[in-house]
Amino acid sequence: MSSTAETATHHLALQVEDLHVSYGPKRAVDGVSLEINEGEIFGLLGPNGAGKTSTLSAIEGLLRPDSGSIRIGDVDAAANPTAAKARMGVQLQSTSFQSNLTIREIVRLYAGLYGVPLSRAEIEDLLADIHLGEEASKRFSQLSGGQQKRVSLLIATIHNPPLVLLDEPTAGLDPQARRQLWHRIERLRDTGRSILLTTHSMEEAQAVCHRVAIIDHGKLLTVDTPAGLIEKHKDDPRVRKVAHGQVTLDDVFIGLTGSELRD
Amino acid sequence: MSSQTSAPPVHPPTLSGILRALLEADFTVQLRNGRALTLTFLLPLVLLYGLSAGKRRAQLGGPIVDVALALTLGIASIAILGYTASVARDRELGVFQRLRVTPAPTWTIMLSRLAVQIVSMLVMSVVVLVAAAVVENVTLDPAAYLLTLLAVIFSSAVFLGVGQALVGLIKSPDAVNAVGRLSYLPLFALGLFAHSTIFGTTFETIARWSPGGAVVTLLAGAMQPAAWSADTWWALLASVFYAVVFAGIGIRWFQWSTR
Repeated sequence: MSSTAETATHHLALQVEDLHVSYGPKRAVDGVSLEINEGEIFGLLGPNGAGKTSTLSAIEGLLRPDSGSIRIGDVDAAANPTAAKARMGVQLQSTSFQSNLTIREIVRLYAGLYGVPLSRAEIEDLLADIHLGEEASKRFSQLSGGQQKRVSLLIATIHNPPLVLLDEPTAGLDPQARRQLWHRIERLRDTGRSILLTTHSMEEAQAVCHRVAIIDHGKLLTVDTPAGLIEKHKDDPRVRKVAHGQVTLDDVFIGLTGSELRD
Repeated sequence: MSSQTSAPPVHPPTLSGILRALLEADFTVQLRNGRALTLTFLLPLVLLYGLSAGKRRAQLGGPIVDVALALTLGIASIAILGYTASVARDRELGVFQRLRVTPAPTWTIMLSRLAVQIVSMLVMSVVVLVAAAVVENVTLDPAAYLLTLLAVIFSSAVFLGVGQALVGLIKSPDAVNAVGRLSYLPLFALGLFAHSTIFGTTFETIARWSPGGAVVTLLAGAMQPAAWSADTWWALLASVFYAVVFAGIGIRWFQWSTR
């Protein structure tokens, strides 16, 4: 590898190259390549079944890809999965924790798994910071949806990972909780972390993402800033056909992925 | 956009730290599970008391076999009802997937779960052996107690293997629960007649070589080291065979997620 390439790789928080994932005969991810810079929030948009979660699962180490390479910073995820996982924080789409543990104990467990021993007082402080100080002795299932998402995000970032992966982080939240979570995501970015998030919400993509990729049928269709995507595709006949007046990111998304309902 | 600072360096966790965190959480869960505690202690004690009070106890093999049967029931209950239920439920909830995205190697996640079950079995065994001394007047010399606890660990492999096979072959927690209950009785009940000719010698032979029967013979042999015989060695070999086969099936087909 040339020294220029080495330098370029060093500044990437995530590098995915030609990723392929299949479930039996069904190809879920078909040659996806993407790069996320340090301190960047990158959004992965796609209809249901487009390959977003499969792409994320392969990066997280939950799925073994058929082929392709994944680098977390300078760590090859296939060669050193433990080191790769230590550099990532993950919020899964639907997360649950051991039902008999309290929130305090869950935080303590995951802090231990990431090698961040925390005292009881430190755990209380962290929970107070996400406005859950009063809920420390409750079980995860006793929290509201918004509170559960906050706990999940806290656990995903408890070890200060350089890369944070969020799978539909605001799905099912009310507008207040959604905006609060956007602020938390932006705060993570401000502390130098890179974030890859999947979402169905164009509003969310425009509000928090530096760059956005649209994925469908396992392939990346386009990548750019939200404004760049609109500019790039505003004259595409498929986009013009669905636009009502000024072209929006929603129009670009529907134009490129089609209007038919997905499962 | 706000000014950015660099993300701090990452220090990978140590294996001992990972295991400590998992064990602490799994022991807490086990202690809070009332049903598991009931299965752990109540059932074998009830059986021990029932056998000691029964009129046909001699036909089942005598006091040593009574204690071995109580231990076998405790081990089978913890493994087939407790362990399988908790694994199936946590898998359905996505608990394992959440753990798998951490740096914890997958074997540590299972090792911690199994260690908690084995410790529960050992605690149950101590309680049953104390009760046996009180109820049955069965007291052993120190070496025999140690050998019995070693045999309990061996026996746990048989029933934890069966439990692993159940959660490996069946995904739904409800189905795991139902099949666990259905298979638990014959697995244990056959062991009841491993040392009895009440139903004839053919049935005794079948019972003796069943998983429950092999475990009862092994435990009874461990409690009487002086009487350790070829039968005990064969029971040990049979236990190893069952443990390897069932655990092999369970590991081969186990899936971390139901989705």
